[in-house]
Amino acid sequence: MAVSSTVALLLLILVVVFAVTGVLALRHRLAFRIAMRNVRRGRVRTALLIGGLLVATTIVSGSLVVGDTVQQLSYHYTYLGAGYDDEAIRALSPSGGFLYFSYSAYTEVTTALSGYGHVTGIAPEIVDSASAYDQHTGIPETALNLIGVNGNQSTALGSFVADNGTQISGPAPGKVLIDDQTASALNATAGDPLVLYGQTKLPLVVQAVVQENVRGAFITGGLSPGNVFVSLSTAQILENQPGKINYIAITNTGSQADGAASSSSVSAYLNSTLAPTLASYGLTVETPLETSLTQATQSSQSTLTIFLVLGLFSIVAGAMLIVGIFVMLAEERKGEMGMLRAIGMRRRELVYTYFFEGVAYAAGSALAGTALGVGIGYFLCYLAGSVLQSEGIPQSVFLQSFTVTPESLVIAYVVGFLLTLVTVVVACRRASRLNIVRAIRDVPEPAPPVRTYTFLAYLGAVMLLVGALVYATTYRGTTDISYPLISGALIILGAGLVAARFLKNRIVFTTVGVALAVWAGWVPLHGFLLGTNHSGGIFVVFVEGIMMVGGTLMVLLFNANEFAALLRAMLGPKGQSSPVVRVALDYPTRQPTRTAVSLTIFALVVFTMVATAGFGATLQGNLNNLVANESGGYSFFGVSQVPLPNLWGQIESNSTLAKEFVNAVPMATGLVDVSVSGYAANPYQDSVYAAPATSPGATDFYTTNQFAFASTLNGTSASATYQELATTPGTAIVDNYYAPQTTSITGGSSGPHPTLSVGATITVAPLLSEKPVRVTVIGILKETAFSGVWLNPSTAASIGFTNLTAYFLTVAPGVSTTHAAQDAKRAFFAAGLVLFDIQSLIAISINTTDGFIGLLEIFVGLGLAVGIAAMGILALRAVVERRRQIGMLRAMGFTQSMVLRTYFLEYTVLTLVGVAVGVVLGVLIVYNLTVSPSATTEGITTFVAPWATILEIAVIAYLLVLVAIAGPSLRAARLPPAEAVRTTE
Amino acid sequence: MPESVVVGRDVWKVYGSGDTAVPALRGINVDILRGEILAVMGPSGCGKTTFLNCFSGLDDISRGQVLVEGTDIHAMPDAKKSDYRARRTGFVFQSYNLLPILSAEENVEMPLLIAGRSAQEARSDARAILTEMGLGDRLAHRPSELSGGQQQRVSLARALVAHPAIVWADEPTGNLDAEGSRQVTELLRQLNRNFHQTMVVVTHDAEVAAACDRTLHMRDGLFLA
Ligand SMILES: Nc1ncnc2c1ncn2[C@@H]1O[C@H](COP(=O)(O)OP(=O)(O)O)[C@@H](O)[C@H]1O
Ligand SMILES: [Mg+2]
Repeated sequence: MAVSSTVALLLLILVVVFAVTGVLALRHRLAFRIAMRNVRRGRVRTALLIGGLLVATTIVSGSLVVGDTVQQLSYHYTYLGAGYDDEAIRALSPSGGFLYFSYSAYTEVTTALSGYGHVTGIAPEIVDSASAYDQHTGIPETALNLIGVNGNQSTALGSFVADNGTQISGPAPGKVLIDDQTASALNATAGDPLVLYGQTKLPLVVQAVVQENVRGAFITGGLSPGNVFVSLSTAQILENQPGKINYIAITNTGSQADGAASSSSVSAYLNSTLAPTLASYGLTVETPLETSLTQATQSSQSTLTIFLVLGLFSIVAGAMLIVGIFVMLAEERKGEMGMLRAIGMRRRELVYTYFFEGVAYAAGSALAGTALGVGIGYFLCYLAGSVLQSEGIPQSVFLQSFTVTPESLVIAYVVGFLLTLVTVVVACRRASRLNIVRAIRDVPEPAPPVRTYTFLAYLGAVMLLVGALVYATTYRGTTDISYPLISGALIILGAGLVAARFLKNRIVFTTVGVALAVWAGWVPLHGFLLGTNHSGGIFVVFVEGIMMVGGTLMVLLFNANEFAALLRAMLGPKGQSSPVVRVALDYPTRQPTRTAVSLTIFALVVFTMVATAGFGATLQGNLNNLVANESGGYSFFGVSQVPLPNLWGQIESNSTLAKEFVNAVPMATGLVDVSVSGYAANPYQDSVYAAPATSPGATDFYTTNQFAFASTLNGTSASATYQELATTPGTAIVDNYYAPQTTSITGGSSGPHPTLSVGATITVAPLLSEKPVRVTVIGILKETAFSGVWLNPSTAASIGFTNLTAYFLTVAPGVSTTHAAQDAKRAFFAAGLVLFDIQSLIAISINTTDGFIGLLEIFVGLGLAVGIAAMGILALRAVVERRRQIGMLRAMGFTQSMVLRTYFLEYTVLTLVGVAVGVVLGVLIVYNLTVSPSATTEGITTFVAPWATILEIAVIAYLLVLVAIAGPSLRAARLPPAEAVRTTE
Repeated sequence: MPESVVVGRDVWKVYGSGDTAVPALRGINVDILRGEILAVMGPSGCGKTTFLNCFSGLDDISRGQVLVEGTDIHAMPDAKKSDYRARRTGFVFQSYNLLPILSAEENVEMPLLIAGRSAQEARSDARAILTEMGLGDRLAHRPSELSGGQQQRVSLARALVAHPAIVWADEPTGNLDAEGSRQVTELLRQLNRNFHQTMVVVTHDAEVAAACDRTLHMRDGLFLA
């Protein structure tokens, strides 16, 4: 399997790194000993270091745990729903159910498989839908799953377990088994007289309420709608299909997992062995369990990707923190290192000292990070569980699904270890560059020589070339938009590095910074230069974020003196003459590299948090729009077993309903194979809808619907387009999943989907039919809730879609949808009318998305810990390094409180600049996504900045920074001046 | 008879406590006269720096009394002591202790700003004294861009710019070569002559001591008679 080979490779890398370290340790024993001594030197400092270093691992580990758990949760429902039904032999009908076929097909299958050892059970079944009426409680319920099956033929599928724990092999004649969902909907208990309605009606008695185990939760996975189980012959009578079945469930040998694993080979065997039977009855072999498991894996992968990409910001911030920590270590040990070099230790040996120390820290912090990630993963899953309760998934099930696979632990550990190690090695190289004399005499590092600029200019030229090449090949294409975006940034940076060889840094990098920020942040430029055909996902947000934050900070830092002067001017005369202000502003502005590191960390973290909060707020702020767009203005979508072409007439003649509803639009519906030119996996299975062309006002789809268009052929108006759809054969409109996918605030569609533009010709064929029609797409809707193709009614009729069994209904203003739905279901119970409250369903799904964004907010909030740690460490570093300077200031008359105020002001300015950059850019990126065409398409028209949340983030971040620097600043204030100014060397 | 600016009576300084206690000053009695340059000499570790720190108020004493211009400095709370330092004293150290992020003139402005002078005044005074010390062409240089002698002259300028009553200098020439050392000594002399400031110069260097008005020799925490 792919996963375990990745794990093996990672373990191999780990072993190699440790082996190489071991060999190096033997060859450089002195360096190794010094390194180990440094590690052991102080427990508190080691703990601090590991705390700083474990961030990357924690994020990887936390994301993987969330991914594992989501996967396990999907598996849970998949296993429940598929049960032991590894393969299913059946034929999908165009109306969405299964086509009936003769019982003899089952006999043929059992005969053909009699000697086949990989299959332990074959069960003939009927899977259909029915309504029920509990005569004892007086409650009706429509759209239940009806399963007709005999106990003695289905032992391999497992047994039913009654709620009181008794095992039941199957439904007895005249009896019905109901699951917990059905029981609670009907308020039913064992012994209740229950009337079932299919094509006919039958009075039965509830034999037992059964648990939603692998048997009782068949198909539904224990979620709604509920199941009712009757004997096969009862189902045949109920559905008026004597001598027929519509489903053969096949169970493979072994556990559920074994069954899924052998499913593809078994189904291949079935396809070849049963070929004549399948052909003569028009049946296909499906692998429900295996297919659902694969889908579950895919969907959990996409969750994992979102977490990892958002985690990238914190990982980058964490890496910068590591560099900061190691440079601090090196500076603290300057004297010591200078001595080591002076007594003849070579620079390489010094690098090894750091390397060994780095390996030790990386190994330790990766361990701690992996463990912490598991804890954080659990916390996130706990929160996710509460979010998903609105979708009907109990939190307890979510928590039971909490899973940490050994693979994830290994991946988190090794990836975290390597990430930390690479950063540490880079940091060590920087740290070891200290010159002996400078190290001993405490002289600052000089400006880099021209040679460095020449080297950087060559590097820039290469970046420029590569960037130009990639840009030229991708800028007008359909690739992910990250390619031209990143290559554009390479061009800008490369040109900057070349220019820096000849021009002043400040001029060059100010220009580069502005260019980068504009390039990433000014969206109209993308439309203008890159066209609108690129795709993009969440990664684009990361790319744009890094570029915008990086560019803005570049401008600030290369103009730090001007910036400080501005701040001073803003503080008035005190800003000029206060020694506290002078020192506080001069430290950060005159040590730009260090300031850059901490600002970048802080700005990135705040940026991510603000952007995530902004997405959530914008989604919520557009809830009404989104709902209106998706619902077409209707309250209910309904389907019935019996066609109700005159639904509206019947409603009007019912005094209760007439007051509750304002319209009822009937439609034909069914399943079709859609073929779109250029789509790799044709045909694509989808739904069709067709409303009658001429119907009076309240029943006319074409005038009552408010579904908006993302695009129409030749830009025709919506009403004209609907008129054309009603009257011109060969026309169609499609849902928004058919629109090319672009960066989207709600994440866009999952899974492969054909895409097209208006004007395209597609073919549409009912399932199992030989007669496709070609239609021209004259409009792409904004909605995705009713996925499918809306056909001109006469075109739909020409391929057999004439039965009006689907409906849109709108309730009168002020009427409760719950009451209206109950009344309508009661009135049309015999026809099996089911109503879905579209608006609340859509609202729930948007709220769930928003809930997940909330979770992500917490996850990216972890990055804040990095930002705070960065500030704390920077402050600590400042105390160590400025010891003598603080002493001198005290000698000149600085009071303790002035020292404190200096620190306070310095970090206030740093934090506020970081927060300001993060907030402005975070809000900007949300705004950009809001005004992007794809967001407008989804109905996101107003941009909402969550100012309250942003203020919270800013205040919390600032307060935490104050807490982090409190210790170091107090230490600085309390330095005894006589000690501090003492010359010690 | 010139008045005493600094009067020390039975001043003790003990570092640490118990077994590890180090008595660095052992009952010092001294009078420092207004306007004099006093040199303090003695072997390494005899307590010279401790004397300077304790008598200037940078450090606390263990016993005794130090009166500076009539007030007991060790009786003041920290804030008042800081304020006193800002207005009345200047310091020069062996290792200059300039703020590396500030230019020469910004370093020199610092004591003036701390004493509450306006930014313009501070700037013009700093420029004036640096120019007087021959650093007129180094105003905007950072300490790392100056030689040791130049840095010490900047630190001298910083100590003197606010016209303090007393300047405390701890081995001001310790890090300098003969030429730098001679320049700094000369400057000290000249400034003392012009402004009549009291100066206490701790030094190892007999030549420096020779340029002073009076020399006290210290051994094991006491001045030799
Ligand atoms: N913080 C301290 N703790 C303990 N002993 C100290 C401390 N500072 C100085 N000493 C000791 O006090 C004595 C005097 O030191 P110091 O005043 O620095 O001498 P000098 O400046 O003459 O070389 C020395 O023995 C020194 O070791
Ligand atoms: Mg000394």
